[in-house]
Amino acid sequence: MKISVDVLRRYTALPETLRQVRLLLDDLGLEVKRLSPDGQLTLELLANRGDHHCYEGVAREITGRTGGALTPPPVATLSIGEPPWPLRLETDLCLVYTATLLERVGAGAGQLSDEALAPLRAAGLAPVLAPVDATNLSNLELGQPTHVFDADTLVGAVTIRLSRAGERAWPLFTAAPVEVPEGTLVIADDVKILAIAGVIGCEESKTTAATRRILLESATFDPVKVRIASRALGIHTDSTARFERGADPARPLVGAGRVVQLLEGTGAWRRVGQTGQVGAWVNPERIVRLSAAAAARFFGMPMPCELIVEILARLGYIAHVSPDDGDTVTAYVPTWRLWDVEYADDLYEDLARSIGYNNTPVALPPVEMGALPSPAELRRDVVDGLLQSFGFYEVFTDGFYGRALIESLGLPEVHPLREHVQTENALDRAYSLLKLSCFPQAVELVALNQRVKNEQVKAYEWTRTFHPAPQHKLPSGRLSAPCTERRVLWMVASGTDRPRAWLDKSRPADLFFMKGVVEELGVALGLTLELGPAEADAPLAILLHPARQASVRLNGAVVGVVGEVHPSVLKGFKVRKGRPVYLELDETALLSATPQAPRFEEPPELHPIDRSLAFSLPPQVEAGSVSEALRAAGPPSLIRVAIVDLFEHDEGGVPTRTFTYALTFQTTKGQALSADEVNAACEAMIAAVEGGALGARGVRLRR
Amino acid sequence: MNRPDTQAMLAAFTAALAEATTPEQIEVVRQAHTGKKSEIKLALRGLGGLPPDERAVVAKEVNDVAQAMERALAEAGAAIEARALAARLNEEWLDLSLPGLAPPRGARHPVITVEEDCLAVLRQLGFVRVDGPEVEHPYYNFDALNIPPHHPARDMQDTFWVDGGYLLRSHTTTVQARVLESRPPLPIRIASAGRVYRNEAVDATHLAMFHQLEGLWIDRGLTFAHLKGLLTTIAQALYGRRPVRFKPKFYPYTEPSVGVDLQCGVCAGEGEVAGGAQCEACHGAGWVTILGAGMVHPKVFQEFGYDPSEVSGIAFGLGTTRMAPQRVGVSKVALLYGQDLRVHTRLHRSGV
Repeated sequence: MKISVDVLRRYTALPETLRQVRLLLDDLGLEVKRLSPDGQLTLELLANRGDHHCYEGVAREITGRTGGALTPPPVATLSIGEPPWPLRLETDLCLVYTATLLERVGAGAGQLSDEALAPLRAAGLAPVLAPVDATNLSNLELGQPTHVFDADTLVGAVTIRLSRAGERAWPLFTAAPVEVPEGTLVIADDVKILAIAGVIGCEESKTTAATRRILLESATFDPVKVRIASRALGIHTDSTARFERGADPARPLVGAGRVVQLLEGTGAWRRVGQTGQVGAWVNPERIVRLSAAAAARFFGMPMPCELIVEILARLGYIAHVSPDDGDTVTAYVPTWRLWDVEYADDLYEDLARSIGYNNTPVALPPVEMGALPSPAELRRDVVDGLLQSFGFYEVFTDGFYGRALIESLGLPEVHPLREHVQTENALDRAYSLLKLSCFPQAVELVALNQRVKNEQVKAYEWTRTFHPAPQHKLPSGRLSAPCTERRVLWMVASGTDRPRAWLDKSRPADLFFMKGVVEELGVALGLTLELGPAEADAPLAILLHPARQASVRLNGAVVGVVGEVHPSVLKGFKVRKGRPVYLELDETALLSATPQAPRFEEPPELHPIDRSLAFSLPPQVEAGSVSEALRAAGPPSLIRVAIVDLFEHDEGGVPTRTFTYALTFQTTKGQALSADEVNAACEAMIAAVEGGALGARGVRLRR
Repeated sequence: MNRPDTQAMLAAFTAALAEATTPEQIEVVRQAHTGKKSEIKLALRGLGGLPPDERAVVAKEVNDVAQAMERALAEAGAAIEARALAARLNEEWLDLSLPGLAPPRGARHPVITVEEDCLAVLRQLGFVRVDGPEVEHPYYNFDALNIPPHHPARDMQDTFWVDGGYLLRSHTTTVQARVLESRPPLPIRIASAGRVYRNEAVDATHLAMFHQLEGLWIDRGLTFAHLKGLLTTIAQALYGRRPVRFKPKFYPYTEPSVGVDLQCGVCAGEGEVAGGAQCEACHGAGWVTILGAGMVHPKVFQEFGYDPSEVSGIAFGLGTTRMAPQRVGVSKVALLYGQDLRVHTRLHRSGV
């Protein structure tokens, strides 16, 4: 809301400087978002305080603090009597409706003074026509929206009713009539809708410079009904803002009186007859009781009953102390606060505002003991530290994406990754599907970075994916969620394992790099994480290179997938460089698994004996299978088999890989090994490899 | 036997040693002048042939010369070794203007860093982290928190509705509702942190997905003074001992509700910077809002079967997404939520 400090000073005394005014308003919860040197304020008002949406409301809040006098603008006294126009009320969703008829006295529509128009101009509204300006002023000054109909356009009675199916209205400032949702609260005459109640008037009955008679409406409508109509029609006005927060049902006559005061003040208009009123609203005289002793405990300071009564009175309550116990304050809630004051706690807030939130005591509640991070939180820290040490940056991706992203994957028409939970009202099409897999966003991340010439990509994220699930009724009667949420840790790497250095050559951040990451994660978490055969039916299987993907297994159970992004996917995302590798792990499995401490053995005193064997492997024979065969054939003293070198060459036209296996034999006191014994063991291992299944597949010792 | 001419031996040795410049040449001199077949060794072996009255004198002469030779050899060897070492060290100069070669580290997301800092403070106060679903029933997001249908407060949190009548949680307060529903024993001290969603037009400062951290303390006897004490402790633990102010706010699930402002670090609360210009950091207010909080609303307690006259509660929320850009000196929060890794690198490494 935009207001003028100068106008506000008409209502109550204010501090001298603008800065002091600002601090006071901030302190009262009337937050100043902007203050111009000429004293124009933009206030951010609280959603539950409709009564703040006017000068009088702001001023009243100030007097609640300062105890100063409140001087509202003059209002013509209207008397309720014979309606000047036939009124018919067909719904109790209109609490009060008043109608006052005015007619033009002179030739023109009149002109409000600059002083009167000041609130209008401060609000950024240009004067239009005296009757319209007066209604706007009533809202700005007193918080009572009003409206004027050209009375000579009305046909028959003015009826407050719910709209019927298919009924149309032509709201002001719109190009053409629109269909009004059935059940909307409207003001109508016998042939047309005159206004959407609390929202906006209509073209056919609008007041113009030629208008001779106006019917002044001032009413209070059900807040929810106004809000629903406003949203359904997509029309939000100052009236809506006021009504949907709950207007003061006792105020319509005052608001109408202000309009009459302003218009009669121009000399161009005068009342005709009395004011008509319909509506069954009766002040419920809501009472809220408050214990002064409880308030004192709540604030941690003395709260005498007299002080409570005085503060509440400043804010418009009628309050008194119970003579029975001398502690209970009984407060009658003012009509403009009926919508937000219900409990003693609401009165606490009013007391706190008046005293000042910064003027009550401060005390830290007793804390007997701090808390430690949970094991899962600690383990997540470990993973974070490890990934960062490998050069990964943590990133965030949205919890949703658009259909276009999924289409970029080139999935078949029927595929599990097409079955998303959908958002129903996303403003942006890119948010239409809840994330079912992190893979598309990971590839998109690589593409984005390549577009900006950043080929070094190492990114990871802890996030969730959403998997459709049939809904069923819960014990609470509510339906279960339309999806299950899976916690995921994913990462993507592309480029090299380290930035290009001046001395050495980097390796590609390839599948072996990522396999190393998996292995080190296992070490860091005390888990046996291994790569296993890829699962053909895994949703990501067709999006990864068929010969360069694997499952990630924890104690044999699949907890993730790793692989090179499929070349056709890269093409779809226009990733032209590198071979990005994607890893996805089940966060829950990773962080909740029981860690196993490494088995510690003291280093032996005697030096080990090392030997190396080189085996040539034909295509498709896994180097690891030779390691396993060597281990199986080796003596108990063989403690390590490690691949330490690869030589790729051509052997008789067959592409061949020759691996060097470093063998370590451990000798201990009392179990000394001789060189001959080690050599004999090696010969036995060679024979086992060459003479076994591997030998049959062409594995040979390279001599 | 003639008396040996030790001085001549020493002179010859000295001359030879003066010519030696390498450890190998020194060894040659050692062999020639102090080896088994050297004159000095022959002289030692021939002492027995001297008359007894000369023997002791000559023996001393020969021994003195032999020892002098050994000392000279050791000194010359050490000097050559020192020169060689000095030369080697000189040759081993490294050009340290070249970059280091350790693999560069990555980094945690700045929002998570802020989140962890907040949690670290809260843990000291006994809070434990709990979590809940992101796809949530509207009951936990709204109704249970005193936000009935069509209430204007629902506008404060434009909501993503999803299939099946559910929504993407618009605040982490949903977790508080779920904890209260489970009725754990008092006191309850929980912190919930994570992603929340708002169906808003996205720009440099507005996001459809961002992060929040909220805390809830339920016990008997908690007061408004405790609320202020707790929030002051949290604010000053995170930002240092800068002045804090409280102001009225509205949150449907707390009453009274408060906003916590921290004195602006740029203008020190003046609202103006040098020259009288409005401080851009706080838009002239002199204060920056960092926390929203309040005493748990009686309706929330009643919803979950608590008697609000028996228990009271403090609820508060920290906008970790809003805090992070301030921490790292970024004006557009959208940058932090993008996937351009150049941004993340530059947040941690200058001049990249």
